[in-house]
Amino acid sequence: MICERVREQIPECLAGRLDHAARERLVAHLETCPACRAELAELNAVWRGMGSLPEPDPDPAMRARFLEVLAAYQAGRASGLAGQAGGPPHRPWLARPVWQPVLALALLMLGVFLGRYVAQPRGPSPDVAQLTGQVENLRQLATLSLLQEQSPSSRLRGVTYSYQMARPDAQVEQALLYAVNHDSNVNVRLSAVDALEKYAASPQIRRALADAVPVQDSPLVQIALMDLLVQLNDKEAAPALHKLAQDAQADNQVRQHAAWAIQRMEVSQ
Amino acid sequence: MLDVRAGDVGKLELLFDRHHRALFRYFLHLTSNRAVSEDLVQEVFFRILKYRHTYQPGTRFCAWMFQVGRNVHMDHAVRHKAEVAMPERNWDVRSAEMPPDRQAQSRQEAALLRRALAAMPPEKREVLIMSRFLDLKYEEIASVLKCETGAVKVRVYRALRELSDRFFALCGERAS
Repeated sequence: MICERVREQIPECLAGRLDHAARERLVAHLETCPACRAELAELNAVWRGMGSLPEPDPDPAMRARFLEVLAAYQAGRASGLAGQAGGPPHRPWLARPVWQPVLALALLMLGVFLGRYVAQPRGPSPDVAQLTGQVENLRQLATLSLLQEQSPSSRLRGVTYSYQMARPDAQVEQALLYAVNHDSNVNVRLSAVDALEKYAASPQIRRALADAVPVQDSPLVQIALMDLLVQLNDKEAAPALHKLAQDAQADNQVRQHAAWAIQRMEVSQ
Repeated sequence: MLDVRAGDVGKLELLFDRHHRALFRYFLHLTSNRAVSEDLVQEVFFRILKYRHTYQPGTRFCAWMFQVGRNVHMDHAVRHKAEVAMPERNWDVRSAEMPPDRQAQSRQEAALLRRALAAMPPEKREVLIMSRFLDLKYEEIASVLKCETGAVKVRVYRALRELSDRFFALCGERAS
């Protein structure tokens, strides 16, 4: 029994972390126990051997890739579209769905007023319009091609490009949806969920997001999808969430989050 | 980390600079694959960024980061179940001043030790990596593994014992 307790202290002793009194006791025991002395010698050889293994450094390009992702994330946040990193949504009252039709109507009336009484009767330059269209097309092309890249970092960049598109685009919408359901990398899936917020006005997209929740294998993605559905207050998703909340096979946190999501939807009715 | 949690996400660059090497080595010992390890490091920092609100003030960042790292590695292992981790190459031991015959012996021993480590069950390999290569204290390992400090003490000893058995068995095979 004493030998067993003493031997459990050998790694701490080899790491130099044993306090003085414990070390004294260990030494006293070793003086009288040849078996423990042999054990110490053998483990010491392996411990030292591990210490002589080199500690390779990562490729310096890794830092550059991380900074790129960080910058893209900050840019996404700055444009207000980067998603729900801070947990369940806390949006300014004007950004809540209930106020959006009112805001849209007010802006429309303001636009009509300004157009009729204030703006000069001059159209946009055809050159500028053409250039804007070309830039938009290039963004679409970059998004679609990056989303098909092998490297997860490139696909993440593809998702980031989609934020910069001025108008929702059907092809990009489908590519993002495909990424949510099929991308092998969890981060790409999470980012694609955030990016689809822009397209969530479409009932088909809402339906696809709700359908994606139970089939996802990553609890993180499931939680992100549920957060988005709560934010959209998509009541049609409630039956699927009820089912998930009661699914004994599902991850415990996912079930709890599904229950939370249902509660939030009921409160905002 | 508190600043990052509060929304100053640019500060994550400092944390990346400070900790990404240790995290990379942790993954490299677990996967024996540089490219995979680099991808997993990126994934950990992305999750830290995205789920920064789950960081509890007062928790040591390092322990929390390795908890995220463990989850990332577990997800990776589930996705790549069929793949068997094999050491990419036998990294040279730090032995610049040794005579050539001793260098050759050290290289051979290092290769065997690496093989023995790669053959360990993942949970035992993990405590050894944390204790020996990452130099984490038992309290910190306990916090990552969510167990008692006493349990870590026993696990590290048993893992080192098993590594020693495997290493000397390989040495014996080589000698015979």
